[in-house]
Amino acid sequence: MQPDAFLQMIDQRVLLLDGGLGTLLISMGLEQGRAPEWWVVEHPQRIYQAHRAYVLAGSELIHTSTFGASPGKLASVGLEGRCQEINQAAVYLAREACEPTTLVAGDVGPTGLLLPPLGKATEQEIGQALQEQMEALAQAGVDLFSIETMFDLREARVAVMAASGLGLPVMASMTFESRKRGYFTIMGDKLVPSLTALHQAGAQAVGFNCSVTPDVMTGMVHAARMEIEVPLVAQPNAGQPQVSAEGIRYPASAEEFARHLVEMALDGARLVGGCCGTDPSFIQAALLALEAAELR
Amino acid sequence: MPNNLSELLPQMQQAVLDGDEQEAARLAQLALEQGFAPLDAINRGYLPGIRETGRLWEEGEYFLPELVTAAVAMKAAMAILNPAIEREQDGQAIGTVVLGTIQGDIHDIGKTLVGTLLSANGFSVLDLGCDVPIERFVQEATQIKADLVCASALLTTTMLSQRDLVLAVREAGLKAKVMVGGAPVTQKWADEIGADGFADNAVAAVEVAKGLVVHRAA
Repeated sequence: MQPDAFLQMIDQRVLLLDGGLGTLLISMGLEQGRAPEWWVVEHPQRIYQAHRAYVLAGSELIHTSTFGASPGKLASVGLEGRCQEINQAAVYLAREACEPTTLVAGDVGPTGLLLPPLGKATEQEIGQALQEQMEALAQAGVDLFSIETMFDLREARVAVMAASGLGLPVMASMTFESRKRGYFTIMGDKLVPSLTALHQAGAQAVGFNCSVTPDVMTGMVHAARMEIEVPLVAQPNAGQPQVSAEGIRYPASAEEFARHLVEMALDGARLVGGCCGTDPSFIQAALLALEAAELR
Repeated sequence: MPNNLSELLPQMQQAVLDGDEQEAARLAQLALEQGFAPLDAINRGYLPGIRETGRLWEEGEYFLPELVTAAVAMKAAMAILNPAIEREQDGQAIGTVVLGTIQGDIHDIGKTLVGTLLSANGFSVLDLGCDVPIERFVQEATQIKADLVCASALLTTTMLSQRDLVLAVREAGLKAKVMVGGAPVTQKWADEIGADGFADNAVAAVEVAKGLVVHRAA
């Protein structure tokens, strides 16, 4: 897909994305702490089923199961040297689950390489790691890239530049929290300047995912909308995870999630979906709510 | 040349707040050369810097880079002051601690700071690092007859392993108390999994640890 065609598409309508993949796979039996990328090779059928469930629920864009599929991350979970294979297989599984018009976004998360003062990595090393993963995704035929859950603007910019260099559309989202003086990443990157920087680096759509509840993200959409005119992507969690001896629970209901997604779309977000704790029932509820609000 | 400690203390605090590793180390060296008690330098100089760093984090003024560099500065000072403390204490630690970030989790900062502060307060600390398997906690605790096993977790997924750690320590028949901490960890969680201690920041962790070894001695 050409970046211009993508821009045109999201200019015309709100695009409904998928929900969280990792937490859905956990509910399907993925062990806590096991990397989802293992299932791409061990249980491809289940990855397909998860994607398919989102497509059937109404997702028009789904994310490949490659959040941790950069070379270093793969090596750290025992999948060394399998970057190309896993990214390609993941794209294939996503594509298999699609309807003819569904878009496949090559999902790219943080490399795990930390820049100073947290670590000793360089932006060049991060760029190389991401380049390898992104080339594999592009070769396997993704329609666009979705860079997500970035917490360091420096890494996010490197990722956006690498992705847009491959000629595909790029959506880029970071994970912000609400602090006393506004919305920041854990590294101290401020919301609006970060989104502006990612847009300037070449992303067609920018925004936020993970970490916060749908109502907090509604505030982020509003804060961004007041200052910048860039297509926004919003993918909140199903609330804050609550851990008890029985396991992890996300408290927000599908209806509450859907209501906030509509609010965000009304406020100008063009790509809406879910992150951790959401499942196909959340996307289904969101679809109904978007239709009821005549946003579809 | 400063001739009393009170001139150095604010500088020590500032070095931590600035995350200035070299300055923190220089001041520690200076304090020793001037014959000041290393524990005073820690408790009245560097530690207030760590507390203030924590407060600025809560206030939304500081972020992860500031926390990390503050901890690095504190550690640099400790590397110089610790040997002097050990000489003073004549090798008598108030308790032995095995400490680590639990398996599957590579988050280092909080755990390391707790270790630094525990050793600053007279504990003998064995830091096992990150991504530590439960068996290794048990093994090392058995080996050094630890009084405390401290496990950190930053992720909601990995904190579940803290429960397994408590069980493993009990099953191995160890007398060691188990302390848990980390961003998503709460007192409620600690109670639920039967941990002996919990603290929501590194400074508080020292007091909890002291309480647990006193109980043990009694």
